[in-house]
Formats: sequence, structure tokens, C-alpha cells
Amino acid sequence: MTLSFPHPAGTGRRVTVSEGPALLSGITDGPGLDAHELRYGALPVLEVDDLVERVERVEVHGRGGAAFPFARKVATAADKLRSPVVVVNLSEGEPASLKDAALVALAPHLVLDGAAVTARALGAHDVHVVVPGESPVVGRAVRRALRARRRSRDRGRRLSWHLHEAAPWFVAGQSAAVLELMAGRPNLPVTTWRPTAEAGHRGRPTVLSNAETYAHVAHLVLVGEAGYRAHGTSSEPGTTLLTLDGDLDSDRPPAVVEVAFGTPWSDVLDRQRLEGPLLLGGYHGSWLSEGQLTRMPVSREELRAVGVSLGAGVVLPLDSGCPVERTTAIVGYLATQSAGRCGPCHNGLPALAATLAAICDGRASRECVHELGRLAGLVERRGACAHPDGTVRLVRSLLTTYGDEVEAHAQGTCAYDGTLTPAGAA
Amino acid sequence: MRRTTKRLVVDWPACHARGLCFELLPEVIRLDDWGYPLIDDTVPRALLGQARQAVRTCPTLALHLVRDERQ
Repeated sequence: MTLSFPHPAGTGRRVTVSEGPALLSGITDGPGLDAHELRYGALPVLEVDDLVERVERVEVHGRGGAAFPFARKVATAADKLRSPVVVVNLSEGEPASLKDAALVALAPHLVLDGAAVTARALGAHDVHVVVPGESPVVGRAVRRALRARRRSRDRGRRLSWHLHEAAPWFVAGQSAAVLELMAGRPNLPVTTWRPTAEAGHRGRPTVLSNAETYAHVAHLVLVGEAGYRAHGTSSEPGTTLLTLDGDLDSDRPPAVVEVAFGTPWSDVLDRQRLEGPLLLGGYHGSWLSEGQLTRMPVSREELRAVGVSLGAGVVLPLDSGCPVERTTAIVGYLATQSAGRCGPCHNGLPALAATLAAICDGRASRECVHELGRLAGLVERRGACAHPDGTVRLVRSLLTTYGDEVEAHAQGTCAYDGTLTPAGAA
Repeated sequence: MRRTTKRLVVDWPACHARGLCFELLPEVIRLDDWGYPLIDDTVPRALLGQARQAVRTCPTLALHLVRDERQ
């Protein structure tokens, strides 16, 4: 059974969402609170140690991209004297990720339950929800869900919910930028000297996580450990959301699916699409070589073993064009999305984009390929947020996985599209 | 007893590539293509005094000397 919701970027397209085994199991009942309470019952109130232990046992990791253990965030925030704050980050900077928008459109109370159970365990009074400014559908879905909870006997009490609208740019969802927005300053990244869990919003201990992360926490608390472990493998219990073809340039309709860890990738995508190049993790992600996923399961561990991260679950098979062209287009876009605050990113990303473009068009010497690596080194870990590092990850993975293709482009040929016309020859 | 090592870190949004840190501490700091500091990992003990002066002299207060907690 599949449902759909309007594309959050307001393009007139619709995003299809398939019913899933856990988080997306109840979507056909509608996003309302009554259906949610009928399915899951009351929301338990847990002591913080209990919550940390439960989350630790099934290893819930952050689903915003960095995969940080959620239990450690909560334990760190609980350890401080000041009263903690809980933040649900829905401002997905990654343009090709639609899974968090899908969650709030179709199962918003799972996300809010996860934040509520965390806040209650921590003794936090304030829960902040940060929605993307450019996607009114997401903000509307959250507002509707919060209104419904106010009337609920069980889920409406004791917490004070605050909604913030993020700015319409790529780096707005970076955690340091989100904290700036919440503090009433421009929604841009700044240097942070201490972890957010120790000193985040106005210096208070802050648990800031992505919407899907909270939904997994809620699912665990509501169905219990055995129910959570009913999907996935013994070493990687549970499920993950994936966005397929979330790219605006994609010819195919975007889709969000939920798959259990251990599911073969061949159950997620057609064999033919798996046999081509595939970008995993989105614009800040990594290229996989042709057919690399064909015999692999959906598994963070197995991907890590080949040096790739599932990131925020963005899956972009390349149906046409070549990895060099696609990367060039993406890096060109990412260069325009630098906040411009940190010199190495402000200068380095356009330099990377220009060098890649020269290689892509066959107007480059072989030294340009080395220059890409050198520029990547000048950008990496020299900024206040993850944007430069994510961009470098993409460029490096192109060099590692499709290095021959990069060299070929520099010489004016392309194995995917035939021979390029050398610049100036026309 | 192990002595704590120190390293220099840059508050990137604050740094405006004025280059004074490089003038004061060329042993540890180089400048990149655009004039922003490239800093070697830890600061040798003998250079700690100069490093502190570089931190104080930075016109945008973008340079910080912190305890190296990576070891």
C-alpha cells in the first residue's frame, strides 16, 4: 500500500511513501492523533537511566547523517546541572532527502512522542521543533499535530512546544546554525567550543536530533524491545528510512521507503539500477562503484567496512549521464550554498567546482586531477560546520571510485557518453 | 606526570585572513591560497609564548590556544 504527499519544495510533484514494517506501519490509518493512540496506546514516562539503557541496547543512532549514538547524547545532557532542552531538527539541508518530511506528513505523532518521552525523562520543559522555511507543508503538518496533542489527556501535558522556521539555505539545518536560529540570531553556522549535549541552546544541555531518530526512540518505547527487534538483524536491529530519487533533477518520482536492516539492496532497487553508478548519502555522500550494492544488505556496518556511510538514507542511482558530470553539477550547487562565513569554504568550494567543471568539460590537464585533491585538503575540517567536509567527501569518493573516469574526462573522453568535444574545437 | 599539550584552533567565521598569526609564528603556521592559516597540529612547548602572543594579537580574535584532548 502506498500513499503520497506534496513534495516539500512545492514543485507540484508528489512523493510516494510505501507502508513500512515499523515507523511507517500505521500510515494508512492517517496522521491523526486518535489513530496513533489507538495503535500504540499511552506514552510511558521513563526515568532517564531507563531510557538511556533501552536506547543503548538496540543502538539507536542519529539519522540526520552523522549516526551519533542517541543514548550518549541523552546521558551527557542528563549529567549536567542545568535543565536540558530537547530539539527536533526537521530542517533537512540535504535537498534529496524527503524522509523526515514524509514522517511528519504521515506519522507526526511518532516523531513528537520520541521528543516528548526524551524531554520527560530529562525533566526538560521545553521542546523546540525546527521546520524548513521553504517547505510550508512540513510546518503545517507539525502545527496540526501539536494542536491535536493539546487536547490529548496523555500526550498534551507538561511540555511547552516551540516552533522555529529555518532559513531556506543548505547550511540552515547544521546543528550550530539551528542553535543560532533558536537564540534569535541569523540561521548560520558558528564555531562551537563544546558539544551541544553539554552546552547547546543558551548554554543549556541540549539533545538535538533529527526527526527520524525521535521516531525510532518512540517506536522502541511504545512497542518494547522485542517489537523493535522484530525487524532488522541481531547486530543491527530495527529499520531505516530511505529516500529514492529525491533529487529534483530525477526523471523518476521520488519515493520514501522503510526497510529493515539486513534487507538485500536488490529488494530496494531494480537490479538494472543497482548495476549502474549510485550515489549514497546524498549531496554530501559517496559514490559506489557499479554493481557494488548488488550483493550487499542494507547495513551501516557493511557500508562502513567499504568506507561509505548511509548518511541520511539518500539513494540516488544514476540512470543517465556519468558520475563526473553529476558530481560537477552537485559541487557547483554546493559551492553556491556556502554561507560564506568561513574563508576556506567560501574560497575553496568555488575553486573545487571550477576545477571539476574544467575536468568535466575536457578543458583540463592531468595536473588538474591532483589539484582537486590538493584543494580538497585545503577545505577539509577548516570550517564551522559540516558543509565543506561533506562536499570534500563527495569529491574524494569520485576520485576514489571513478578515478579513471575523472582522468578520461580530463583528456576529453567519457566512457558513459562517448567522446567529449574538446573546448575550443567547435 | 604527562604534560598537557596545546594546539591552536581557528574560529573560522571570525578569521578574516589578516595573516598576523603567520607573521608571529611561521614555525607552526602557513597561509593557504587565500591567506587563511594552515596550522600544524600541536604547538611545541618552546613556542608556547609566541603562540600566546599570536592569540592576543589576532585583530579579529579568531585564534585560540586550547588543550589538546585528542590523545
